[in-house]
Amino acid sequence: MKKRNYYLTTISLIFLVIFLYFAHNYMDAYIVRILNLCAIYTILGLSMNLINGFTGLFSLGHAGFMAIGAYVTAILTLSVNSKIQNFFLEPIAAPLANVEWPFFPALLLAGVLSAIAGFLIGAPALRLKGDYLAIATLGFAEIIRVIFTNTQNITNGALGLKGIPAYTNLWWSFGIAAFTVLFMALLINSSYGRALKAIREDEIAAESMGINLFKHKVMSFTIGAFFAGIGGGLMANLLGTIDPAMFKFTLTFNILLIIVLGGMGSITGTVISAFIVTISQEALRFLDQPMDLGLFVIPGISGMRMVVFSVLLMIVVLFYRHGLMGTNEFSWDKFLNAISLKKPLSKGGKYNGNA
Amino acid sequence: MINMTWEMFLQHLANGISLGSLYALIAIGYTMVYGILRLINFAHGDIFMMATYFAFFGVFFGLPWYIAFPITIILTILLGMGVEIAAYRSLRDAPKISIMISAIGASFLIENLAIVIFGGRPKAFPTEELFTKVVYIGNISVQRLTFIIPIVTIILLVMLLYLINKTKTGMAMRAVSKDHETAKLMGVNIDRTISTTFGIGSALAAIGGIMWGLKFPQIQPLMGVMPGLKCFIAAVIGGIGNITGAVIGGFFLGVSEIMLVAIFQGLTGYRDAFAFIILILVLLFKPTGIMGEKISEKV
Amino acid sequence: MEMLRADNITMQFGGLTAVKDFNLVLNKGEIVALIGPNGAGKTTAFNMITGVYKPTKGKIYFKGKDITYLAPHRITKLGIARTFQNIRLFKDLSVLDNVLIANHLHIKSNLFEAVTRFPRYRIEEKEMIKKSLNLLEMVGLTNVENEKSSSLPYGMQRRLEIARALATNPEVLLLDEPAAGMNPKETEDLTKFIKQIRDDFDLTIFMIEHHMQVVMGISKRIYVLDYGVTIAHGNPNEIQNNQRVIEAYLGVENNA
Repeated sequence: MKKRNYYLTTISLIFLVIFLYFAHNYMDAYIVRILNLCAIYTILGLSMNLINGFTGLFSLGHAGFMAIGAYVTAILTLSVNSKIQNFFLEPIAAPLANVEWPFFPALLLAGVLSAIAGFLIGAPALRLKGDYLAIATLGFAEIIRVIFTNTQNITNGALGLKGIPAYTNLWWSFGIAAFTVLFMALLINSSYGRALKAIREDEIAAESMGINLFKHKVMSFTIGAFFAGIGGGLMANLLGTIDPAMFKFTLTFNILLIIVLGGMGSITGTVISAFIVTISQEALRFLDQPMDLGLFVIPGISGMRMVVFSVLLMIVVLFYRHGLMGTNEFSWDKFLNAISLKKPLSKGGKYNGNA
Repeated sequence: MINMTWEMFLQHLANGISLGSLYALIAIGYTMVYGILRLINFAHGDIFMMATYFAFFGVFFGLPWYIAFPITIILTILLGMGVEIAAYRSLRDAPKISIMISAIGASFLIENLAIVIFGGRPKAFPTEELFTKVVYIGNISVQRLTFIIPIVTIILLVMLLYLINKTKTGMAMRAVSKDHETAKLMGVNIDRTISTTFGIGSALAAIGGIMWGLKFPQIQPLMGVMPGLKCFIAAVIGGIGNITGAVIGGFFLGVSEIMLVAIFQGLTGYRDAFAFIILILVLLFKPTGIMGEKISEKV
Repeated sequence: MEMLRADNITMQFGGLTAVKDFNLVLNKGEIVALIGPNGAGKTTAFNMITGVYKPTKGKIYFKGKDITYLAPHRITKLGIARTFQNIRLFKDLSVLDNVLIANHLHIKSNLFEAVTRFPRYRIEEKEMIKKSLNLLEMVGLTNVENEKSSSLPYGMQRRLEIARALATNPEVLLLDEPAAGMNPKETEDLTKFIKQIRDDFDLTIFMIEHHMQVVMGISKRIYVLDYGVTIAHGNPNEIQNNQRVIEAYLGVENNA
């Protein structure tokens, strides 16, 4: 049984790689872009789920971490010439003017700086309970945005940055997404991951079992911020243009929707949901745009798409609180049972606890 | 203080106080709901925004202000109670994180519905000569509104404190905020009391919204977001759950925001970050705020 | 040898004094009970010892070391474990995970070693699982290790909580109403069980309990609280004949 699952996983991964190769070389740029976004939102969803779903902290600071990551990679990877073109109001601060880094180190530094910011905000804010933490982290994201709007000679202020090299491709985005999935799975199933889940379940009991709440919360928060920073970096080098207005609360809302829909506390749920939400974000774009039906034109209604997503979020949280997967994970056994029309193949043996 | 005359100082102070009064009115709604449900009503800022639109359309369709404004208040109350029923009531016993997510969903829904219905572009709020007329005191020129707003706020605060401390409804609200189960056993109708709380909070947000529209006569669907967050912060500064505290917090935030920008003009761009910095400082050094009580968890 | 000592610890909530000048001495290997009517402040005393509440006044010493203002997790690490009156298991997690979590405080591998499954971590993990399964077997929870902990029947949940507390390697164990909700047969088993773990794990036990059968059966000494004040202290015999205790507590209990 275990062997079969191992083979199935390997085969699926090989198919994924073949698919990516095909997509990378032959598919329409628009579709490739959406696939990239799916992978990036997977990374973002997982990083938020670590904090909110597995550790039970309610953090709304993701847009802030992403902004840090995006700006770091953007500034580091922009060519010297593009920098001169971008910063026409006020020249970029001297030490940054001549740097031009390759993608990977820039991305890594984006993650590290975002993690440091996570640590600095987490250390004081994580002493707070539930909703105070939510507001403090939300406030932190706003502060970051306000700062980035005002530091003209570093971030180019409200004008944003244009011409960021398009380094992000399917190999980068899916490669890092796969790494994130693996990392999270290993973390969650380790002793440290169990400690995080204990904090989610009952802080007082966890503390009484000797778990240092503060240390573990900061750890979870910092790791989450690291991956959010990387996600932001990938995003910047995919879109090519960033500005502070991109990193409003709406961005955090989208990631929140992904983890709520997928299941707070499920890695595979987050992956599935990241794809569903990202693709439907694109698919429903028509709602905001005018539609030409040949005989007549339906004017687009801006905001309609977000109405759909707000309603979706509320329906999930009101009626299907556990989302697609709850705290469960995808398994081949369950999957095969679900798709086989016959009776479940094996119901005997030990109760596996998370059915 | 650099380059500031007395007149300018007084002018800024008056502005700060009237902005602070508006913050205070909205902050009361947050603090009351938090006191009774232990929940940040994320949608409260959006309820405030809707109030300005109700008033806008009332006047737009030719109603005189003394009819349009009361209708606005009634519609806003219904909206606030509606949000409570739709987004919070069925989640009473759900994990807190679910309720907060529902609150965020409700907030986004209202904002985006407003964009869909009213359009994203700002609209000009009709000015009412009666309130906006500029009066001169010495060298200082101020709108009448600058005086009206704090006075209205104080009157409403006194009425509210009377309601909470001296009436049966108020007693029910205090009982529910202490302990839902016990209050229920004592015959308090929990759902109705919570509904009333939302209604009162929304009414104050409506009055705040109308006066906001008169003072800053440009309205748009996302205008509730920032004031909403700031007013929650005001409630935290004052001590969450405490109504007088929320008013003090509102005044404090309004005055210090205006003064900060007036004194350090280089910081104008950072104005919106200021409230959050204060919030983080308060939470770190005095999480119970100015007038709040400590709520400890039972083990 | 003196394991735990509390000197005049007092806990005030606002104007209310929940516990006043509580003094306690636990010697190695003793089973000591804390009794008193509901609301007498027993659990508050527990919460002060385990660091959940910081006493308004007084000092607590564990093996001579001042632990009064230490955080709960540090106190647990030093060797004081507890159970809760209103069972606080990690409900959504498996029975085994519940016990494994209580091993985490002694982990030597760092986060990096754990995530990369370094050899040192693998060895530690294996040992933790072995130890936890042993503990589960010892408290009679075999073959349920993969069940969700909240799906266990009440009595088993109580025993799981004890197993979880034991996994932290305590020297002093605080049990908050271990016999609550048990029938006479279960109560009798529990009495034996408490004695047995005391011997097997070399423990000193301090427990809050209402079942007089349990209290009188195994306690060496008993402290009696009423309205936060210690009204009596002595061996079971002395307590049973203490007029104040009878008035405050036993009289009511006997008639019930």
